[in-house]
Amino acid sequence: MVAVLVIEDDDRIRLSLTLALEDEGYTVSAAATAEEGLVRQRREPADTVLVDLMLPGIDGFECIRELRRADDVPIVVVSARDDTHDIVAALEAGADDYVVKPIAVKELTARLRALRRRARAATATGPRTSVIGELEIRPQAGEVLLRGNQLALTRTEFRLLCELAEHAGQVLSRQQLLERVWEYDFGDERLVDVHVGRLRQKVEDDPGAPARLVTVRGLGYKLQR
Amino acid sequence: MIRRPGLRARVTAGFAVGALGVSTVMGALSYQLTERFLLAQREDSAVRAVALDAAIVASGLDDDSPDALTALSALNTGADRRAFLRRGSRWFSTQVDTANTAAEIPDGLVRLVERGEPGIQRVRVDGVPAMVIAVPLDDGTALYEVDFMRELDRSLKVLALVLTLVAVGTTGAGALLGWYASRRVLRPLTSVANAASEIAAGDHSARLDPAAEPELARLTTSFNLMVDQLSRRMERDRRFAADVSHELRSPLQTLSAAASVLARRRAHLDPRTATAAALLTEEVERFQDLVTDLIELSRSDQAADRTSVDVPALARRLCRARGLNVSLVSIAQGSDAIWQVDRRRFEQILVNLIDNAQRHGGGAVAVRLGGRRMLGYYVEVDDEGPGVSPADRESIFDRFVRGRTAGARGDSEGTGLGLSLVAQHVQAHGGRVHVTDRPGGGARFRIDLPKVAQ
Repeated sequence: MVAVLVIEDDDRIRLSLTLALEDEGYTVSAAATAEEGLVRQRREPADTVLVDLMLPGIDGFECIRELRRADDVPIVVVSARDDTHDIVAALEAGADDYVVKPIAVKELTARLRALRRRARAATATGPRTSVIGELEIRPQAGEVLLRGNQLALTRTEFRLLCELAEHAGQVLSRQQLLERVWEYDFGDERLVDVHVGRLRQKVEDDPGAPARLVTVRGLGYKLQR
Repeated sequence: MIRRPGLRARVTAGFAVGALGVSTVMGALSYQLTERFLLAQREDSAVRAVALDAAIVASGLDDDSPDALTALSALNTGADRRAFLRRGSRWFSTQVDTANTAAEIPDGLVRLVERGEPGIQRVRVDGVPAMVIAVPLDDGTALYEVDFMRELDRSLKVLALVLTLVAVGTTGAGALLGWYASRRVLRPLTSVANAASEIAAGDHSARLDPAAEPELARLTTSFNLMVDQLSRRMERDRRFAADVSHELRSPLQTLSAAASVLARRRAHLDPRTATAAALLTEEVERFQDLVTDLIELSRSDQAADRTSVDVPALARRLCRARGLNVSLVSIAQGSDAIWQVDRRRFEQILVNLIDNAQRHGGGAVAVRLGGRRMLGYYVEVDDEGPGVSPADRESIFDRFVRGRTAGARGDSEGTGLGLSLVAQHVQAHGGRVHVTDRPGGGARFRIDLPKVAQ
């Protein structure tokens, strides 16, 4: 059974999502505030966290950062806000995905499944260790080394890097990355941009002038051999 | 209608006409004064010369056997003067053509002199202005002199020319001054116009500097006030739309999740409850689409956020997702594959056009793409439905308007906002959308997007 933690201050949404997700076969625990959610996640970690952005007390963005500080649990934002500003801020804080309310339960579970597959695919079925410049990627071990030092990547960042490493020297479009990393037929390309940005923070010496993970204007991204 | 010339043109013309008037009056006056002064001077000197000549001739005639010609030839008249002597009714002159020349002397003057009065009169001889001065000597004898004023005439002509040129120059200078002054005067208005167009383009921070033009302080103050109010109002509207969308989205999320629980258990419900649950689920879904479309429509003022989009791939993916054959999508030869469009909005354009064809047009039969960045792009979506009657071709893009063929509301019904969203998104790209008949039946929706500036 997959455990999902729902952090949502609206009682009715929390209850209905709990009922609907339990129907879909998830084990759901729910929290009305970020504080409560963080405590729960520490005591009995869920496999995936759904978090609202507008929460009393600690807000959603801070909650995501707190969760991220602890581990790489997949985080999906479920928010009524759909400003680009909020979406980018939430993804930059460390969320793996962002959906806007109202979202159909079918679609939400599809995303949760994709997120789970991504986490497994990264660790279990990846190709052999590859060395690209000063980066060493070990898919089986789920490790990335930069000049011998291990980097702390989230699962999404790790999948993204593996995908780019598999096609090192080739350009992958945002859409291709969405399909291969997020497994979305169509989706928001901002997901890719923000995650590439976060990945650069970790693999680049100067994230402002990327040398390893470069943007190919109008086409997509490429990991330099 | 005759278009009124611009303020600037009118001010310039006014200044030019004013300058022309002033310079004409000044020129005419100075010409008159100069002419009068020069003539008076000339007259004075001529009269003195004639008086002297009269004394010489008189002494010549004082002889025992007075000979008029001899007396006359004693005079030194030069080229510009001619002397005549009249004794009785005969004319004497040192010139050969006496009779002819004497005809230039006006009769009125002759009569005056015959009464014993000296006289002076201005005449024109062969187009040359001249002065005739007459001095009676003794009984029946009088000396006439014709004084040609060639030099004076030439000087006056030069003066007239100079004054005309000055008038023309002044007119030009007046026009220039008017043009410059109107530009200076209109500059604050130009800055108002610039600020207004910045605001129209969406920059609500544009304000006028009230200190720049004290005379226009009222205009700038009320302009700034108006912009403040406008942007406050727009901000209020924007916040209202955001609040409404948030307030609608949260309960919808509850409805949607609860409805899915009901839908899952439909088999365990008694038939009446199951039917009610099915209705509820469908309507919740439709309501959800409606709210999403309405929120999208409320953001009509946002500009297109262009990025590079692989449009043919996008169109194929959308067709695949709807169970349509990807071979429906064709791209014209020589067209760009990567278009500069707003991805989210362009995707919605394609989705709504294809869904419209599926719902109301008996299914999409072709999605044609073409164009280049520097020329503009086009999209055509064909269906094989009954087409759109000419009367509906404009209104079909209005909100909540459904084509006549759409009939009663059924469960395949859309929100009634799809095509107006298409129109809005196309407009955000600066393009046009219209519907025509497809050759062979059905409707053809065509979108034209203008070229993208670099």
